[in-house]
Amino acid sequence: MSKVLVIAESNASELTVATLEVCRAAASLATTLGGSWSILVDQKAANSACSIAPEVMIYEAGDTYNSADVLAATAAQILESEEIILTAATSTGKDVIGRLAQQIGAPLAQDCTGFQVSSGEVLLQRALYGGKVISEVRLSGCPALVSFRPRSFTPMDPSESGTGRVSQVESKFDPKAEVRLEARESGERPDVTEASIVVSGGRGLQGPENWHILEDLLDALGPNAALACSRPVSDENWRPHHEHVGQTGRAISPELYIAVGISGATQHVAGIANSKCILAINKDPEAPIFKVADYGIVGDLFEVVPALTAAIRDSA
Amino acid sequence: MLSLSQQHFWLRDSQVDIETFMNIAVCVKQTADTESRPVLSGDRSHVTDEGLVWIINPHDESAIEVAVQLRDQRGGSVTLIALGPDRVESALRQGLAMGADQAMHLYCDAMPEDQVVIADALAQHIQSQEYDLILTGEVAIDGAGAQVPQRLGVLLDWPCVTGVEELTMESNKLLTARHPVEQGDEIYTCQLPAVIGINRRIGEPRYPSFKGIMKAKRKPIEKQVPTLKPAQLHTESMELSAPRSEGRVWSHEDGTVTEIVHLLREQAKVI
Repeated sequence: MSKVLVIAESNASELTVATLEVCRAAASLATTLGGSWSILVDQKAANSACSIAPEVMIYEAGDTYNSADVLAATAAQILESEEIILTAATSTGKDVIGRLAQQIGAPLAQDCTGFQVSSGEVLLQRALYGGKVISEVRLSGCPALVSFRPRSFTPMDPSESGTGRVSQVESKFDPKAEVRLEARESGERPDVTEASIVVSGGRGLQGPENWHILEDLLDALGPNAALACSRPVSDENWRPHHEHVGQTGRAISPELYIAVGISGATQHVAGIANSKCILAINKDPEAPIFKVADYGIVGDLFEVVPALTAAIRDSA
Repeated sequence: MLSLSQQHFWLRDSQVDIETFMNIAVCVKQTADTESRPVLSGDRSHVTDEGLVWIINPHDESAIEVAVQLRDQRGGSVTLIALGPDRVESALRQGLAMGADQAMHLYCDAMPEDQVVIADALAQHIQSQEYDLILTGEVAIDGAGAQVPQRLGVLLDWPCVTGVEELTMESNKLLTARHPVEQGDEIYTCQLPAVIGINRRIGEPRYPSFKGIMKAKRKPIEKQVPTLKPAQLHTESMELSAPRSEGRVWSHEDGTVTEIVHLLREQAKVI
């Protein structure tokens, strides 16, 4: 019987990177607690799940869109004696596990960044107050529900050998809302929360027509880089809302965050302060972004960015 | 900050009559301002109130704005609900100054950290009333729990959409809401009553006008003491994270970017 269950998210036939990270945590938790782990996955991504998880539970939603309601109801119906249930702290993952927690009366720690097991008890790390406070929490009640923030663990390699024991599960649900997905054209680029390098543009770029200089930089940085923007940029509709990072946008923690023409208001920094390394480019030497940057360049971004792009290409 | 006229909100029809009358409640959390520097208690078990500047959680503030606009267009009433100690009255007064009609203060000595406790206390009050629509923020910026709307949906057995950036009343009984997810936008269609978790990106809230502030002083705030259920999430310890230290800044001249690319590769090892 598995002790840890992962509720998977998938993109067509592949598990998402955020889910593969959570699988890493599940495998490690199961080993520490002395048990195995399993994964609940949509039929379409079943093959990808079988290659990594010891036990795979496949559900088929048919024509119904896998809304949070459907996923939470499915998970609630298949639970047996799991001690821990995990999801990625993505929009969907947090939505699903919030509903599930209330449905089954289980405790929930949302958006955790790590865990440790101390005398058989799981302690979870959470970032509060925009990352200014780190707390360690304990959940009382079983099963314990946890969502992990993307990039908290190294993703499992889908080719890691697994001998997935597969079972088909049925679920009955009566969704309270009709939901459909207007899919975004998925480009080659990773999601901004999953990218290891994020290039972010602010009002300093003066208009959406100038974004090509950031795209050139992105191309030079390789396939693991993604674009982001500050709030004024998404408010002005220069860039789509899902690229907005900051306190009221999305929180990210890439290896490298390049802030271009962003002054660095506290609300912006709250969403990016967990980046490993920050490079800021701004013409104003007094811009607050320089207070949190590891490296800063004071200059006209329309000169600095193309020069930086060229230097990265030259040094590759 | 955008002015309201520039924004494209969700409202379609503007006929106000008894058929469209909506009884709306907004659940409001008072949070510490982003600029605040949290101070830990001696035993590192919680953040003290010391030195904190209190604001309405930014997502909740947009939820109040949505509620007030909806009422102004369709007719009805906006009730604010806040759980917490005496200090939350200032958040309620501010929400009343933005245009809400009345408020319910669910008093407790200290704000619970576990959202299961918060959602349960809110639901107790909501179940005693006849609301058509409950709005909340998607997430509070202090505890980042992101689960009160979902829990309320289950507790009330109502449809719930969270992370909403666009809301349209199709009629007085039906709404559509847009919830961005990683792969695109989920479009929900559901019957009222419903619970909607609002994201700030739906639009900036208004500043209370002087007239609004004066009027708010006479608006009623009722106080009740809910029974709090036991928490399931317990803080073992807290730490302040080390602030990022200031790095090295160059002014742009020949060779600067080459040096920085070298440092990104060899020192920081991030490219």
